[in-house]
Amino acid sequence: MFASILASGLAVGAVYALIGITYNTMFATSRVMSFTAGQLGMLGGVFGSLFMLRWGMPLIVALPLVLIACAAVGVVTEFVAVRPVLKSLDQHLYVLSTLALALMIQQVAAIKWSTEPQPFPRLFGLGSGAFDEKFWLPVLALAVTVGGLEYLYRKTLVGHAFLAVAEDNFAARALGLPERGLRVASYALAGAIGGLAGFSGGELLLAFFANGALLNFYGFVPIALGGLGNNRGALIGGLALGLFQQAANFIVGGIFSSVAVFALFIIVLLAAPQGLFGHAGARRV
Amino acid sequence: MSFSRREFTLGGAALAGAAGLPKVALAQSEPIRIGWLAAMTGPSSAPAIGFDRGVQFAAAQINAAGGVKGRKIEIITRDTQGDPTKAVNATQEMISQLKVHAIWGPTNSGESLAVTPIMARAKMPNIHPCVVDSLIDTAKFPNAFRLAPSNGQWDDAVRGYCLKILKVKKIAVIGDTTGYGVSAVGASVAAFQKDGAEVVYKANIDATQPDMTPDLLRAKNAGAEVIVVWSVTTGMEARMFNTRAKMGWDVAFVGHPSLSSGEIGKLIDKPANWDKVYAVGYKSASYDGVGKLPAKSQELIDRLTKAKVELGDTLFWWVAGGYDAIALIAKAVEVSGGTGSEGITKYWNSLNKYPGYFGNYTFNDKQHNGYPTEEVVMSAASSVKNGTFALAPGYKA
Repeated sequence: MFASILASGLAVGAVYALIGITYNTMFATSRVMSFTAGQLGMLGGVFGSLFMLRWGMPLIVALPLVLIACAAVGVVTEFVAVRPVLKSLDQHLYVLSTLALALMIQQVAAIKWSTEPQPFPRLFGLGSGAFDEKFWLPVLALAVTVGGLEYLYRKTLVGHAFLAVAEDNFAARALGLPERGLRVASYALAGAIGGLAGFSGGELLLAFFANGALLNFYGFVPIALGGLGNNRGALIGGLALGLFQQAANFIVGGIFSSVAVFALFIIVLLAAPQGLFGHAGARRV
Repeated sequence: MSFSRREFTLGGAALAGAAGLPKVALAQSEPIRIGWLAAMTGPSSAPAIGFDRGVQFAAAQINAAGGVKGRKIEIITRDTQGDPTKAVNATQEMISQLKVHAIWGPTNSGESLAVTPIMARAKMPNIHPCVVDSLIDTAKFPNAFRLAPSNGQWDDAVRGYCLKILKVKKIAVIGDTTGYGVSAVGASVAAFQKDGAEVVYKANIDATQPDMTPDLLRAKNAGAEVIVVWSVTTGMEARMFNTRAKMGWDVAFVGHPSLSSGEIGKLIDKPANWDKVYAVGYKSASYDGVGKLPAKSQELIDRLTKAKVELGDTLFWWVAGGYDAIALIAKAVEVSGGTGSEGITKYWNSLNKYPGYFGNYTFNDKQHNGYPTEEVVMSAASSVKNGTFALAPGYKA
């Protein structure tokens, strides 16, 4: 039982954390919570199954194509659902526009792909039991993503530019940074991260159109727990959520495990409204 | 030339009578219009596509034989896409504009719940295969007749198989978290307990839950001897079969027809994981140990094959049910002598073991669930062959 909680909990938690990072990456440059994050995860699984099982592509070709396709969906999100509402951020119109786009993506996937879960290929055929690749691949993808983002933000000029826009986009623009281009790039990056989440978790979650709503929901919890905009918080929040959820599945089971997860979520937010690793922002008075 | 008042009145009456004659003649030769509410596209289209093959085949056969007392059958299909709103619009169009004489369908309960009251108000004879129990109520919907079993009849058949054939006493009942899953699990648990069985585990699981180990482990630890499944979620079902294999547990799964869906075959880790899974099926669509179907079913299959009607990608009972629906409407028109609503429903209410291809239907003015429960059987879920299944072990051939 303990091995199952650890293996399955960490794997699902890693997928949640990656979706949380997808939310964060989009939020950083636009201050918009885009509800397409979970759908990008769903598309990662669907595209992976489409390219590898239906079209017979090898992994080395399919993975980059999945990332490119999901990055393209990220860019479309920026153009269609984010850019038009940026001028009125305070009215939170982005909730409607991104949610509408997310629903459209889900419906198109249901009609064009399938309403039934479809198989996802074995990627390497490594491991068995608690060490099966379906459990450790999402964790590996999470480690690579977090490491890559740390490198990007700390060591590269583009990463510094991302941080500058995230910190203060008016000041960044005044310094001559291409704020709009950087925002599009961050949405492409978020799309690729979301796609990687779905692709690495495909063996566990299958290629299923309904995964989008699930990931939207559970991917939001890590950033609320870890603090909005904080990738390390999302990582810890996601893994903790996965472990707690799987433990609750064993202990209370079924519908009650969701109740347990959200009870804990509410308790944490009551105790620390800014998230466990977030900090209260200064407010001009 | 002059006319008396009496001659004028008689002449007028004769003219009026003569003017009415063509109308009567026209009514007796106009086609029998049957509305067919079919979810031909969209997420729940598989049954309607199967039913439609039987519908078109029946209409073609009857028309080729000269129709019903010289009247041809005209099938008017509207694709509802599984959407209750579209089903309502199509029903209203069929009643008020197309003036159909009877309606077959819809094929899913969500649509049927929306359109059944509309048809009742219009007194439209309606026959459908939807399983939700509340769709049949002879007081509220005296014109609505069910051709397939209700969910309660499925439940009876599953319970009967577990208790009388598998002879198990400790039951686990699992469903998904949809409204259907929750209500079906509740009803199933209550019925098992009423029959003296011990329900040692019950759960509703989110269809997207990736790991089924927790629930199956709890069911095993509780001493379950069989797992009854009420869900339409093939992903969840396949995950349960894979988990059972990994646990090395040989418990049987018994339940909803979706356990035999072809989608499951794509999701299981190996074919053996689908063994010892028994789904709701029907005698007419089940072959015995030597692969032989009931003679009547074989006769229909031979006719369908001759007419090049594809059976490999659908279920036989859908095709047979579609055929029976059209045959029942045609027979009602033939016996009642017209397309009047009252005559059609009166004929259906008089049926006692009407020999259809899908089943032997019995209706009366108090009972519109026409399918006999004893013809609902369990099938070996992984044994599909031309839309038919092997009988689950334990039945006499």
